[in-house]
Amino acid sequence: MTQLVYLVPLFPLIGFLLNGLFWKSMPKKLAGIIGSTAILASFAVSLGIFFEVKNGAAAGQGIVHLFDFITVGNFKIPFAFMVDQLSAMFLLIITGIGFLIHLYSTSYMHDDEGFTKYFAYLNLFVFFMLLLVLGANYVVMFIGWEGVGLASYLLIGFWYKNKEYTNASKKAFVMNRIGDLGFLIGMMLTVYHFGTLSYNDFFAQLQGGIGAQTQNGYMIGSGMTNAIAICFFIGAMGKSAQIPLYTWLPDAMAGPTPVSALIHAATMVTAGIYMIARSNALFNLAPMAQNMIAIIGLATVLLAASIALKQNDIKKVLAYSTVSQLGYMFLALGVGAYVGSLFHVMTHAFFKALLFLGSGSVIHAMSGEQDMRKMGGLGKYMPITKFTFLIGCLAISGFPFFSGFFSKDEILAAAYAKNPMFYYLGLLGAMMTTFYMFRAYFYTFTGNFRGTEEQKHHVHESPATMTIPLIILAILSLVGGLVGLPEVFSHHHLLNEYLSPVVQNFDIHHLDHTMELTLMGIASAIVLIMMYVARVITRKEQFGEAKGLAKVLENKWYVDEIYDFLIVRPLAWKARILNNIVEQKGIDGGVNGLGQLVQWGSTRLKNLQSGQVGSYLFAMVIGIIIIFAIGIFGLLYM
Amino acid sequence: MKPLIATAVFAILMMFAALTVKEKKSFTHFAAILMLGLVGLNVWELADYNRLLASAQASPDLFGKMLRVDNYALWFNVLMSSCSFFYILLVGRSIEKVGVHVGEYYALHFFILCGVFLLSTYNNLLILFLGIEILSIPQYILSGSDKRNLKSSEASLKYFLMGAFSTGILLMGIVLLYGAMGTFDIHGFNFYATGTLNIMGVVGVLFMLVALGFKVSAAPMHFWTPDVYDGSPTPFTAFMATIVKVSVFFAFMRLFMEGFANLDPYWKVTVLGTITVLTLLIGNITAVYQQSVKRMLAYSSIAQAGFMMFVVIGSNAMAMKGMIIYAVAYTLATVGIFGVLLKLKDYTYDGFNGLAKKHPFLALIASICLMSLAGIPLTAGFFAKWFVIAAALEQPGTFWLVIFALVMAAVSLYYYFKVIMAMYFKTGEPELITPVTTMDKVVMAIIGSAVIVFGIAPDMLLAWI
Amino acid sequence: MPIQSYLFLSFSLFAIGVMGVLMRRNAIVIFMCIELMLNAVNLLLVAFSKVHGDPGAQVFVFFIMVVAAAEVAVGLAIIVMMFRKVNSVDINILNRLKN
Repeated sequence: MTQLVYLVPLFPLIGFLLNGLFWKSMPKKLAGIIGSTAILASFAVSLGIFFEVKNGAAAGQGIVHLFDFITVGNFKIPFAFMVDQLSAMFLLIITGIGFLIHLYSTSYMHDDEGFTKYFAYLNLFVFFMLLLVLGANYVVMFIGWEGVGLASYLLIGFWYKNKEYTNASKKAFVMNRIGDLGFLIGMMLTVYHFGTLSYNDFFAQLQGGIGAQTQNGYMIGSGMTNAIAICFFIGAMGKSAQIPLYTWLPDAMAGPTPVSALIHAATMVTAGIYMIARSNALFNLAPMAQNMIAIIGLATVLLAASIALKQNDIKKVLAYSTVSQLGYMFLALGVGAYVGSLFHVMTHAFFKALLFLGSGSVIHAMSGEQDMRKMGGLGKYMPITKFTFLIGCLAISGFPFFSGFFSKDEILAAAYAKNPMFYYLGLLGAMMTTFYMFRAYFYTFTGNFRGTEEQKHHVHESPATMTIPLIILAILSLVGGLVGLPEVFSHHHLLNEYLSPVVQNFDIHHLDHTMELTLMGIASAIVLIMMYVARVITRKEQFGEAKGLAKVLENKWYVDEIYDFLIVRPLAWKARILNNIVEQKGIDGGVNGLGQLVQWGSTRLKNLQSGQVGSYLFAMVIGIIIIFAIGIFGLLYM
Repeated sequence: MKPLIATAVFAILMMFAALTVKEKKSFTHFAAILMLGLVGLNVWELADYNRLLASAQASPDLFGKMLRVDNYALWFNVLMSSCSFFYILLVGRSIEKVGVHVGEYYALHFFILCGVFLLSTYNNLLILFLGIEILSIPQYILSGSDKRNLKSSEASLKYFLMGAFSTGILLMGIVLLYGAMGTFDIHGFNFYATGTLNIMGVVGVLFMLVALGFKVSAAPMHFWTPDVYDGSPTPFTAFMATIVKVSVFFAFMRLFMEGFANLDPYWKVTVLGTITVLTLLIGNITAVYQQSVKRMLAYSSIAQAGFMMFVVIGSNAMAMKGMIIYAVAYTLATVGIFGVLLKLKDYTYDGFNGLAKKHPFLALIASICLMSLAGIPLTAGFFAKWFVIAAALEQPGTFWLVIFALVMAAVSLYYYFKVIMAMYFKTGEPELITPVTTMDKVVMAIIGSAVIVFGIAPDMLLAWI
Repeated sequence: MPIQSYLFLSFSLFAIGVMGVLMRRNAIVIFMCIELMLNAVNLLLVAFSKVHGDPGAQVFVFFIMVVAAAEVAVGLAIIVMMFRKVNSVDINILNRLKN
């Protein structure tokens, strides 16, 4: 089965090619079927691979070599796939949730004129995402990394006729480029010092620890590992929307809702976490980078959660919530709880996809309305959506025994072990999470309807192709946490055992059981309290002009404005100067001059081509004589 | 040497067919089948040779060391005959329109391939000479085959006069080398046999260099190229600019790599470098000014020849790889773009205006091919340039040469992208003279995807080296 | 006779041929001058054959003759084709293709 791994990305590629090449003539129904089936087929193969990998195969053994990219002397970049526990887990998440979202999209996008194009892009995205997690070296990962960026750009700007949406897609692209630059520099540093980009080779060299000799004859020092690790982290920052590169993600909600669910919640944004977890051997040797990751992660949790408190657009709430949940994952990575982080990636994929699809279902019913202030009381009309959304809210809040409870608990416990301050701040984030999620839930599904009559008339439960993915994801959100029961409840942490050949927690002190139970109790109590608070406040809240802190929150801490003031405007100002003086006078002058020189030379040279055989022969003989002269003259120096 | 004999036999078969068959279309079918057979024969030969190689019975030397048929040459033959096959599938319809003697045109193609196979396997200057002539004489005829068109006749006469002149120079080179070395065997050359440099031999080398430079249209022996490529019937231009040219380059490289190996590398770089600089300069700069895409492609083929000169400069293991990749990348891309060009009525840049709107598929394939010619990453052309430059850099004193080549590659973006801009960003009503059939689409799709696949995994082309 | 004499004679013939190609405007005369170049080569080949005591070069001469004959056949046909169109064999008339 492992040898068949190339099939996994192949199916989406075929889907993309079919839908992409024949988008004009392809009937809608067929496009949907092709798109979904491709992912389903990948999922089937992924399942087979998962079960094979689950029982055995030590780390670094499942390399499937397809062909060599570039061979220069001893330096080779093979196009190879790495099939191990970690990539198999991501395969299942990507293809599994990917399939559900494709299925959902067949209804959601049904009336869109770009239906076929949409599926082509979505398949393209899945293809690149699979490359990203399957690659056995950083180059293949980077191809996937750039590819998902491209697909995300295309999908955010899918409704390209709206200027704001295309701006959002550009913003996402540019911010990602900043991160990619970091990643690229990290890769170059790696090649320079270690002479390789393939995981096995690189990690094997890192096994030696600080002070060991690398293949290129360098001594591994903490400065070097920290530099590479921080460069990689900057890459992750861009893709996984961490401070300071997070502002693109909320804007990316301009894309169709299923896209937000798949790309901007469940899969692509977790690529940074995958990258760091994959490179854990590197990060374990880079304590400074780890601290930086933990602190930035935590700061992102708090900032994003506080912004989410006052958002009124249902998708914006979810977007900031995603940013904040990603912050938790980075916090976990920073404190060395790799398994906890990956656990949260998985549960988050379930419940966040569920919440997004739920919100999509609401938006669909409300004919495109996203403002929660114009909703209310929708629970009556759409019971399935309401119920599954509630499960999603409970899961993300960490309500006891829902999936988010276990994963968040694991992260918080690890944070406590590292530094109690991390824990308290993390808990504050969790409080806010519960509040804003239930605020959204209550606004949307309870109370009185606040929209127009026409909308009210139109509200309906979504068709089965949309509710079935919701139900499946709800079940997963409910039970998904069982794979990672904490030590208090069970001695088998299934995920930990499964991942242990590839990723192991690093430097984590185990808490004693009483302490752990206490922490859990506190977290659960806080969830319940905050739910109640949310209920009370949503009943009272008037949608008036916000004041004071609320206004600041509503305006997202003015981060966009600050960026605009600090970076964009000075840049624009400098760009103007550069443009007006350096560019137009200097460079343009130079380039135009060169261009004119080329044109001038072109007219001269073309006159040489007079059309007369006689002159051709003559010129040729002169040329030959010159060559002979050079040849004979050169002999003197031989 | 089955394929070599087969080319001659197939050519004669085509000529006999021309006597009896009336239907023009059946010639194309017949030629395509024969060409496929030729590919098959080459593959068979390759497999056969490797089977013998496994049992250590194989010897590359054939006909009393006249030919040297090794894996490298055989693999090149396989690739070239495959390219010819796709060429016939793509432009067969247009060949039928050139004139009445369709059967003869195809026969001449097979004769040219006979020359190609001789050039890829020669081990003796006699065979080199025969190969060049067998390759050239049919081209004189092909370029003049559109008898109604005065330009075609003019191209033919120009090509013939200058070609015959270069034959004289080639022979002078051969005879001087022979006089200096006492042998025609390219492995028997030693320029320092008497302890000091053999000057007569070096003069012979210069003569041969000039003559082969003429055949590959290296400056300053390039003057025939634009006129002949422009005047010849377009499908034949596609063949002359691609398969013929790269085959001569193959022979050129082998001559310098195997025959002239013990010449001083600095001297070789100086002389070949001069030619390369001139070729790149004239090819690229003059192409900028052209109004007709067909003529632009003629200059572009000179520019590409400048890049291919790097394999001759390199003359090492890397150059062998670069030769194969460049040959395939350049041939596929040029055949592809000519395939699109042949569909159009107007060969000027304006003729391409708005092609993307009306025939997006044609525009896509043309764009892929042009980007490959320009050497954009993820197309085969990128690795082609990459390999030949890497090969040249292994020789001393080539750094500035490579920098110059890269600057010229940047200039080439201008005229290649001018076509792409015309197709995508200008509006117009491009007229087709031949409808785009399903067959055309399939072949173009194969060519387009091959360009991209080889741009991702160029190692696939190096399977037999 | 020393080989130098043959070299001198051949080079003279070759140079006359080249000069003829450059100077004359009549396509047929140019063609004849090219033949002169080829014959200079033939002469030199035979002389070198004697010097090296190798009959291979004489065989080469036959090949050159055969190829030259083929070239004559094609070349004259092309010139005739041209003559039929423009009623002239002057190469300076050929200037439709340029720039």
